[in-house]
Amino acid sequence: MAKSLKSWLKTITFYEILVGMKATLKHLLHYKPITLQYPHEKRTLPDSYRGMLALLRYDDGTEKCVGCDLCEAACPSRVIKVVSAEVPGEPTKRYAKEYYMDMTRCLFCGLCVDACPVDALGMTREYEWAVYDKRQLYLNKQQLLAIGDRSFPVREKKLELQHLNVAFFNVAFKHLPPKEG
Amino acid sequence: MVEVGIKMAFSLAQIAVVMGIVLLTVMFLTLAERKVIGWMQDRMGPMEVGPYGILQPIADGLKLFFKEDIIPAGANKFIFSLAPILALVPALIGFAVIPFGPNMTVELFGVQVKPFVISDINIGILYILAFTSIGAYGIILGGWSSNSKYSLLGGLRAAAQVISYELNVGLAIVGVLLLAGSLSLVKITDAQTGWFWNWFIFAPPFPQIFAFVVYIISSVAETNRLPFDLPEAESELVAGFFTEYSGMRFAFFFLAEYANMILVSCIATSLFLGGWNAPAPFLQFHGSLAHLAWLSGTIWFAAKVYFFLFLFFWLRATLPRLRYDQLMRFGWKVMLPIALGNILITSIAAYLFPRG
Repeated sequence: MAKSLKSWLKTITFYEILVGMKATLKHLLHYKPITLQYPHEKRTLPDSYRGMLALLRYDDGTEKCVGCDLCEAACPSRVIKVVSAEVPGEPTKRYAKEYYMDMTRCLFCGLCVDACPVDALGMTREYEWAVYDKRQLYLNKQQLLAIGDRSFPVREKKLELQHLNVAFFNVAFKHLPPKEG
Repeated sequence: MVEVGIKMAFSLAQIAVVMGIVLLTVMFLTLAERKVIGWMQDRMGPMEVGPYGILQPIADGLKLFFKEDIIPAGANKFIFSLAPILALVPALIGFAVIPFGPNMTVELFGVQVKPFVISDINIGILYILAFTSIGAYGIILGGWSSNSKYSLLGGLRAAAQVISYELNVGLAIVGVLLLAGSLSLVKITDAQTGWFWNWFIFAPPFPQIFAFVVYIISSVAETNRLPFDLPEAESELVAGFFTEYSGMRFAFFFLAEYANMILVSCIATSLFLGGWNAPAPFLQFHGSLAHLAWLSGTIWFAAKVYFFLFLFFWLRATLPRLRYDQLMRFGWKVMLPIALGNILITSIAAYLFPRG
């Protein structure tokens, strides 16, 4: 009885609504915005931020990609298209003759980066990629390499020139961030 | 003849001033609403146009003015154009009988004029109720003539909601009318002079606090504001009855909504909170400053009106939208009995203890 009386009193005095209004008023009086004025000020991105994809090079300027197609296989939204070919004059080595990414479909899941056995793909911190023509988001190899060049200025040594252990671990532990220098 | 001319010129000047103030307030409100709700939700509100976004209303107005005016295919063109005017004019016309300041007369070229009320007619509150009911037609016709399912549903909801809550508004103010013994807003306000316990919300013999609560809730519903914004529920009906409107026609609906907010705030102030009367006589200019009493009166009136407008924003930032059946049940099964009971008790109290 007392309980129902109490709840009845709460109903007729709009108790719950007043509690809610007190909460909003408290936020008004202790005004501390959590939003940023985006184009003028930007967030500090976390280390693991997954932004625009890029193709990387070794420190002598050769492309890391060996054209193995594993990224294409790993990609859940069929963003990547690789055309693999032999390196001219070196029949034991292959490279990506053409490499396309349709960034209109990319989900930035990072599975291609995980799949790459030679760390040829990297995720940059670029995220402002709005364009007026969506065909501009169909990137070829040169564009992807250019993104990698401007986002990863410090490049890795060529794989066969690295210490054996480092080379091994690079391949084995893909969750490690890509080495810088 | 000259007398009539002077009176007319003075009335026109009053109308121009009141319209100017109302439209400026609407401009200010559009910014204030976004800012206040932003602050309540830990956001900043508009920040881009001008310092701290204070020029945002001007930018919005310019944008609406230059936007393309679209009339959808299959719309009834005449009614589609008429509806925004039908919504806006009743909202603005109600200000004609609101007393913004003390009931005083000024002699202008030998003619007695009242500077703070455009027209002191003896059925003021009835006049306002009649015209706000016409405003509902603007919404319903706008929803119907757009030839869009969202608009039609919004219009239908508006029809049912405005009729239900209009009734509660009408019944809630009957108690005040019983106590004041007049339908003129000037006389009702004059009956509340003195200390704040003479205001009708606290007034002996029977305080109108219940009527006040019923009036506030019903007026929020009548102006289609949250938590009663079913006619324009953006998560269900895109924009409700003005989904198909753009440019200046949309701006008219927008102006009508905000003008209605100001109007119901003015009525609530005049009826329940003593209008331009200060809470205590010494808070008004008196003694040697008595000739400036009108200034403090208008300031008190504005302060009370702005309190109500802030309440509108506050409710909007706090409460979610009601479901349609909840809205109807609340209106008919809760608000209406309270309003009727208030009339009964007030009339008994007013009969037993007549006000001096």
